[in-house]
Amino acid sequence: MNNSFKLAMVATLLLLTTSSLAQTDDEDFRMTALEALIAAPPERALPIVEKVLAGNHSTDLKERALFILSQMETPESQAQLLAFANDSQGGLQTEAIRMIGIGGDKEALASLGQLYRGGDANVREAVLEAYLIADDAAAIFEIAANTDDEEEFEDAVEMLGAMGANEQLRELRGRNGLSESLILALAISGDAEAVNDLVSIYQDAETEEIKDSALEGLMIAGHDEGMLQLYRSAGDAADKRQILEYLVMMDNEAVWDLIDSALEGSN
Amino acid sequence: MNDQIDDLIAAHRDEIHSPPPATMQRWHDAIDDAATSEQTAARPANTSFHPGSFVMGLAIAATLALGIAIGFLMAGSETEAPATIAIADTPSAPMPGALSRGLQVHFRDSRDQILNLPDADDPTLLVLRIIEQNRLFENAAINSDAPKLARVLRAFEPILLQLAADDLAPEDAQALQAQLAFELNVMLTKLNVESSDDSHTT
Repeated sequence: MNNSFKLAMVATLLLLTTSSLAQTDDEDFRMTALEALIAAPPERALPIVEKVLAGNHSTDLKERALFILSQMETPESQAQLLAFANDSQGGLQTEAIRMIGIGGDKEALASLGQLYRGGDANVREAVLEAYLIADDAAAIFEIAANTDDEEEFEDAVEMLGAMGANEQLRELRGRNGLSESLILALAISGDAEAVNDLVSIYQDAETEEIKDSALEGLMIAGHDEGMLQLYRSAGDAADKRQILEYLVMMDNEAVWDLIDSALEGSN
Repeated sequence: MNDQIDDLIAAHRDEIHSPPPATMQRWHDAIDDAATSEQTAARPANTSFHPGSFVMGLAIAATLALGIAIGFLMAGSETEAPATIAIADTPSAPMPGALSRGLQVHFRDSRDQILNLPDADDPTLLVLRIIEQNRLFENAAINSDAPKLARVLRAFEPILLQLAADDLAPEDAQALQAQLAFELNVMLTKLNVESSDDSHTT
């Protein structure tokens, strides 16, 4: 089947079957037709996708059209995505933002910073996700470093942890000091140096929140030795009990001996 | 997202630290498929078999399979490192053709599994396995200097994580399944077209 025939079929399916939008079969049919556009040259497919986006179609169909745009990899398709991210609302806007992450265009990604600052919680979450998709840890670091909002900081730090962005997390630790979210992100990121630090972070902690986060971090990182070290050095019975609970959750082999010793009345 | 990642980590922690038989079987299938498609693609242009490409296909599949094993072994070690680090340490063998074929298998399998998710014995575990596989291919794409593919693969993960959640409403799950199936299908078609174009120009 040549491309012209494919395009004619797609255009027919998409643009002429608009009379019964509520019918599931028609919607499925249009989805299939839209999917076929990926096989067409971008200069032929783009006008059809633009018509779908401008037409009276379902949000689902338009969201799928945005994915097709992201895969065209042309300046025109990237401009369309940016326009949708700026001008639309709700699910279409957040989907367009996600597609900018997939497209990876540096200028488009940079412009998401403005959307983040002016957007609601959904837009901010979508922008962070777009940066994660584009593997742009530096952009997320900028958000975390420049916000005064604790929740925004936590969200950005969590994302950096998921990305394994050790360098940026260490930089934030140096600038902002330790926080619960930063400790967990460091543990999730798999930063061996930071995980080893969790023992001293626990021992030097000035608040119960930081101590709890250090224990959670050790558990997430699976650092049994560090947890055992804390158990042995803990002087307070409540601390020992809490650490023992974590060791049980970690399914540590030594925990049964520790329990046995505790029941015998020795450490 | 953090809660979801915690859930993922907890679920992995509960798993036996050896490559699951189903995962290994899928990789054996991937190797077989790579061999079959290599032979099929070679015939129209030249009736001879291309052992070099086939061996490279096997090599990358074996490298990725080794990555799975290392990832699971690392998961059981004391200073646990994410699978991504384990894979990055494996020898990279940039082989776009083999990667493309492996990805086609991954996209097709993932699409089929996503569509049949409601029938799975343990849908959450199945989705976590797809995520594991997806990460392997993401790393393979990075190692093969294919950032566009890496971004698309990375984009699937947040949706897969949502699908893995136990408290997802059925209609939301259905919407996510449909979205993923569409996107996987588009990528499958795109790779097929690119493979076809490559075979016609060589």
